[in-house]
Amino acid sequence: MDTEKRTQHLTERLTYIKDIFGDKQQENIRLLETKLEEFIQRENGLSVEDKFAALSTLEDLFGFVERNLENELTAMDKVRIVRHSQRICLRDILENVYDNYTEIGGKDENSIDPSMLIARAYITRRSGKRVYHQPVMVIGQEKGHGEEFRNGGSVKPWGNAKALHYMRVAETENIPVHTFVFTPGSFPVEDAPGAAQQIAKNLYEMAALSVPVVAVFSEGGSGGAEAIGLADSRLMLSHGYYSVISPEGAAAIEGRVRGGDRAGAELVEKCAHQLKITADDNVRMGYIDHKIQEPALGARPYHYEFFRSLRQEVIRATDEVVLNVKGFSPFRAMALRRRKGKSIEDLDLENIHVRWSLSRKARARLIAKRHAKFNKLSKSAFIDRRPIHRRVAAWFVEKGWDTYSYFKYDLWRSHQKKLMYAVEEVDAEARVLMDKVKGPWKKITKAIPANTSKADKEKELTMLSQWDEEDQGKGQWSYISPRAKEDRAITCPNAETHGCQDLWAPDLFGEYAGVCNSCGHHFPMEYQWYMHNIFDPGSIFEFNTEVESANPLGFEGFDLKLEQAKNKTGLKSSCTTFEARINNVKVVVATLIAPFRGGTVGAAEGEKFVQAAERAKKKRFPFISYVHGTAGIRIQEGVNGVIQMPRCTMAVRRYIDAGGLYLVLYDTNSYAGPLASFLGCSPYQFAIRSSNIGFAGPGVIKETTGMDIPPDYHRAQKALSRGHIQGIWDRRDARHNLSQALMTMGGRNLYYR
Amino acid sequence: MQNTNHKVLVANRGEIAIRIMQACQKLGLGFVCVYTAEDSASGHVRMAKEHGGEKSLYRVSSYQDANELLAVADESGATAIHPGYGFFAEDYRFARRVTQRENKLIFIGPSWRIIRELGDKINTKRLARSLEVPTVPGSDRPVYDELEAEKIARQLFEFQEEQGIRRPMVLVKASAGGGGMGIEEVYDIDLFKSVYRRIRSYSLRQFSDEGVLIEQRIKDFNHLEVQIVSDRTGKNPVHFGTRNCSIQSTGLQKRLEIAPGFDPSSINYTFDAQKVLDDITEYSLAMARKVGYDNVGTWEWIVTRDGRPFLMEVNTRIQVENGVSAMISRVNGKAGVDLIAEQIRVGLGEPLGYSQENITFDGVGIEYRLIAENPEMKFTPWVGRIEDFGWDKHDWLQMHSHVPTDVAYDIPTEFDPNLALAIIWGKDLSEVKVHGKEFLNELRLTGQNQGGESLKSNVNFLRTKTDEILKF
Amino acid sequence: MLDISKLLEEIKASPYEELVITAPHTGVVSFGSIKVGDRVIGATGTWGEIPGTPLATLQRERNDKIIRATQKGVVEKIHTELEGTFVEAGTELVRLRHFLSKDEVLGIILKKALYLFEAPERAKYYFAPDIDSKIKSSGSQSVTVHDGMELFIMSRMKREAPLNYSGPDGVIYAVYFQHNENIDSGAPLIGVCPPDQLSLIEDVVVRVQTEWTEQE
Repeated sequence: MDTEKRTQHLTERLTYIKDIFGDKQQENIRLLETKLEEFIQRENGLSVEDKFAALSTLEDLFGFVERNLENELTAMDKVRIVRHSQRICLRDILENVYDNYTEIGGKDENSIDPSMLIARAYITRRSGKRVYHQPVMVIGQEKGHGEEFRNGGSVKPWGNAKALHYMRVAETENIPVHTFVFTPGSFPVEDAPGAAQQIAKNLYEMAALSVPVVAVFSEGGSGGAEAIGLADSRLMLSHGYYSVISPEGAAAIEGRVRGGDRAGAELVEKCAHQLKITADDNVRMGYIDHKIQEPALGARPYHYEFFRSLRQEVIRATDEVVLNVKGFSPFRAMALRRRKGKSIEDLDLENIHVRWSLSRKARARLIAKRHAKFNKLSKSAFIDRRPIHRRVAAWFVEKGWDTYSYFKYDLWRSHQKKLMYAVEEVDAEARVLMDKVKGPWKKITKAIPANTSKADKEKELTMLSQWDEEDQGKGQWSYISPRAKEDRAITCPNAETHGCQDLWAPDLFGEYAGVCNSCGHHFPMEYQWYMHNIFDPGSIFEFNTEVESANPLGFEGFDLKLEQAKNKTGLKSSCTTFEARINNVKVVVATLIAPFRGGTVGAAEGEKFVQAAERAKKKRFPFISYVHGTAGIRIQEGVNGVIQMPRCTMAVRRYIDAGGLYLVLYDTNSYAGPLASFLGCSPYQFAIRSSNIGFAGPGVIKETTGMDIPPDYHRAQKALSRGHIQGIWDRRDARHNLSQALMTMGGRNLYYR
Repeated sequence: MQNTNHKVLVANRGEIAIRIMQACQKLGLGFVCVYTAEDSASGHVRMAKEHGGEKSLYRVSSYQDANELLAVADESGATAIHPGYGFFAEDYRFARRVTQRENKLIFIGPSWRIIRELGDKINTKRLARSLEVPTVPGSDRPVYDELEAEKIARQLFEFQEEQGIRRPMVLVKASAGGGGMGIEEVYDIDLFKSVYRRIRSYSLRQFSDEGVLIEQRIKDFNHLEVQIVSDRTGKNPVHFGTRNCSIQSTGLQKRLEIAPGFDPSSINYTFDAQKVLDDITEYSLAMARKVGYDNVGTWEWIVTRDGRPFLMEVNTRIQVENGVSAMISRVNGKAGVDLIAEQIRVGLGEPLGYSQENITFDGVGIEYRLIAENPEMKFTPWVGRIEDFGWDKHDWLQMHSHVPTDVAYDIPTEFDPNLALAIIWGKDLSEVKVHGKEFLNELRLTGQNQGGESLKSNVNFLRTKTDEILKF
Repeated sequence: MLDISKLLEEIKASPYEELVITAPHTGVVSFGSIKVGDRVIGATGTWGEIPGTPLATLQRERNDKIIRATQKGVVEKIHTELEGTFVEAGTELVRLRHFLSKDEVLGIILKKALYLFEAPERAKYYFAPDIDSKIKSSGSQSVTVHDGMELFIMSRMKREAPLNYSGPDGVIYAVYFQHNENIDSGAPLIGVCPPDQLSLIEDVVVRVQTEWTEQE
């Protein structure tokens, strides 16, 4: 390398340090600056040898300072590292980690979404004298080095759809998937297929993708990360972050910043720290399996050593996943095991060969293991007040149900079904035969006029059903909102456009069930209204009430807020799970209740949801998610919350694969993470009229995309037109419609196929 | 009136508003009136200005906005609300709000539960059935589903064919409607669907409800009514006789009402008319007793040519034609009965103070509804300015009108087009006919509209129809 | 032929309009913090989603309703003597001086350029149900009218009658009535643009857009 290039390189390293630390570390920066300047001043007077020597000294100094600074990196510094345009990107990885690759998801700007990059690549390994090319599907967000068309790795819904498509191609081809997460979050537009709905689809499909998936996180921004992050092995670069929300976003919420303003740098820094977003944090909490060490101050494209170790790590992770589900491979498995004092370079991975394609049985084991892996996560991030003996008892009861339902539904039913089908067939044949025989006789009998009594008909038309007490109860609901006790008038939000008169609160919130009698606008109602007016009276049996929301990250001030929410609502978490009946059909219901911290989902809510799905599966009941309202994942729980997206989606997947009927009913406002996972993945989603459904609220959309969105952007009818939901229901008909949905989608045998 | 410490908000306009104010004056009660910008020239506004005290007249945005009425009631210190007829008269939610709000007021009408029970035509039918009172064949609740509606219509057609009715017909009406609005006849099942849809969208626009009733249309019939009055105890309802309202416009709007309902003393009917009258009053009283009816109300009946009565509906309000019943009624032998004053009196909680034996009837009454309309053109309303309006006074004549007789008056387009009610009395049928014609001949009613077209009225129609009254 | 330049000059000569803000219904009024001379604006934002400047609050049945400016203008008079009192519907509350906006100027000129179909009688008007749903979903300009077409429902004295359009074929370029509002006989209901006049109308739009400068 000539001196000019080396100088240039040093200048870039200096700029990088300045960018990362900003106002901090002024002394070190000034030192490097002066030394570099001195050298540039003197440069012309020096001989070539002296120049080289001086440069080497300077380079050593840079290395020394960088190593020192490395120890002082804060969480927010890492965020800046990850966002820097000099940060390695997926193209660098393709060039340096894989032996060869072909981009298949478009090229540069000419792609359906340039921020999602797909490539078929291979890794070459030797075993003895033989050379193996091991193909993989590489999928990841491409931030590039600052190119605008990459959209900073913020993937549009169709980009995620493309990713999903190629995961399924990999599944067909029986090759592993390597995903690289380089995203600050998904691009929050609702255009079909819709940000949230598409992520939900990805999660749902990945939950049962039958090839090994290895994910490498560099920048794991919430929902966008989950779209490709549900993996058997999850690695993370040491300078990356994995978080529920950007620190700026969290600060804006914490600092109650509104419209266009920004939270102060200090608050942002504090939030970054509190959210526990670094690789070390995530490894400790169990959400990441292994950290990959980067060079000081983060990997940049010229850190070739790093790419080598990254290559080793992804190979090993893939090998491990494969060997774990393969039948017999003790020696190779041992060879791969991590040992103290042994770095990855010591392993001779290049010369061990593990076949990455899986047999049918191994595929099934792979999926089972994946589910077990995620199911175990975040178990300590909530409070479970059930006494130990009850937990043990619950475990036994569960096992009992397992056995019971195996005999009742799997074993017995499959035989019974075969028998039934056979009987049906015979019956149908017999009918055709009988019709032919009886045909002529019928003609004769028809010719004789039927003797229906005239008096009966008159009676039917004149003497109507009895006037009884039951009819006097109309317009009465089992639960009446407390707002129906206020003597005041309420203005309908559509008054100006629809000419609605002011409504009297006792009418509106009582008899009208919160529906404007002129335009049909639905005012939000309390969740109790639904509990009491949808399900059969007295049929609700709540379970897992002892599972409580906690503050797993020790987020400052959150204990108090949580306490307040618990006191205000009398609930322990925003999720209530219960068994109930609708017209005598038994169902399991999980609700998200808006007044409890905005219906946000954290570890406790996730756990309750998962257990409800399991219960529905065991008891063979239909499973209903009633979303009274949710603002998304609870940010104060950090990744403990985000991880509920894959966890709960996987529970849904298990339930549906077992033959279950999963219905979602949205009310008021439902946004973000839950929608982009366990709610959005339901094939049957309905909304109460006047509700809003979407990925990100108008404020966030404006901030991230710069677009103004129309006020009705998230309205249920828009969601219906986009195909995100399957229908809109009047609140007063919710019970009837739900009952009808159960009958038409579940059939006579309700749920089990 | 024992307790005159009341102020009544008159939640209506026009003729009935004036009648209510007059009744209040008679009873020594205060009152407060409302009006809308379009109505500022109406006689009721003038009367409130001239005879009302302080805080007795307010301009509001609409007669149909309960919030306006209650805001005015509070501001003016009203203690009771009289809804008149139309508008809020049969709105149980309004009645409920009036009596259940923090500043509680008296609703001068039946209690809200009764309005709700009897306001629902189907519920009324069921109540009738439980007392073995006959009702008209038809749908058994408001129909919201097109297929169901069609099925009922088909059944009704078949039923009528079986009964040998030559031209079967089905009536489609807005469940929330009343008073002949939003009703259409269908003769052909193939046309049913389009009529049904039209009524449904009319109902949605006018009443915000898509419910539609489908009934057999009994063609050849007389429309009779029984006037009921009862005090707040609900225990001792009395009737003020029957009325015959069979003479209607093409839009099924009443134009001429006669009390009593039939006159067997001078006309021969093919059935026992006196028995029919006795039956329907008895049925009506039985139902009133059953529900504990506690104000004035009207039971509407259909009587077929073979003398079979069917209950149509109950109107839980004072009706336009109340005056014609009052005209022939005597309490303790005295004339000058005022049913609106009686309504206010019992509404405010006074006991009725007399029973059925104290009520007697004398002579025959006719009520003419004077309307600017063109009977030759399907009774389309005529809009314009009334320039001359006047009549000769007689002791057998009562006039109720909000139209001023001393200045010209522009007919507002927002409301029912009634101009005046003329109530005529005669000692028997032939005398009342003579009086009626005399009145119509003496009446002065002229005007012009912007297009220079002169006023059209139904006076000729009323005159011709006077010959036919009470004949079946 | 329409002389657009002349029309524009005429309007430019008196570009103001006085707006009287009245109480939409009864209630107790309070004026908040506005002062004479304050600049106020109507609803803004791409979809008019940002509400206009609050002028007064009207409380009725314990429900506060904010009365907002519907147009840009300057406050000329506030009836502060009404502060805290119960007012009747239609009482004058505030008076604004309003400088005509581009859209309004355009409206004035279009009324002269388009074929106006007028209300035959004083009544309330609605579009026929199928037309109404079409307008609601894709705007009035999606509707092509032709002579004899059943276009309106005329509602008067609680009676409804269909009303047929008569006039040249064309698209509905402007709608001048609102539901639930009485329209006087002779007032325009819709402005229709025949296809051969479309270029003229577009020219009007361009001219107004370029030649009319809105004043603050």
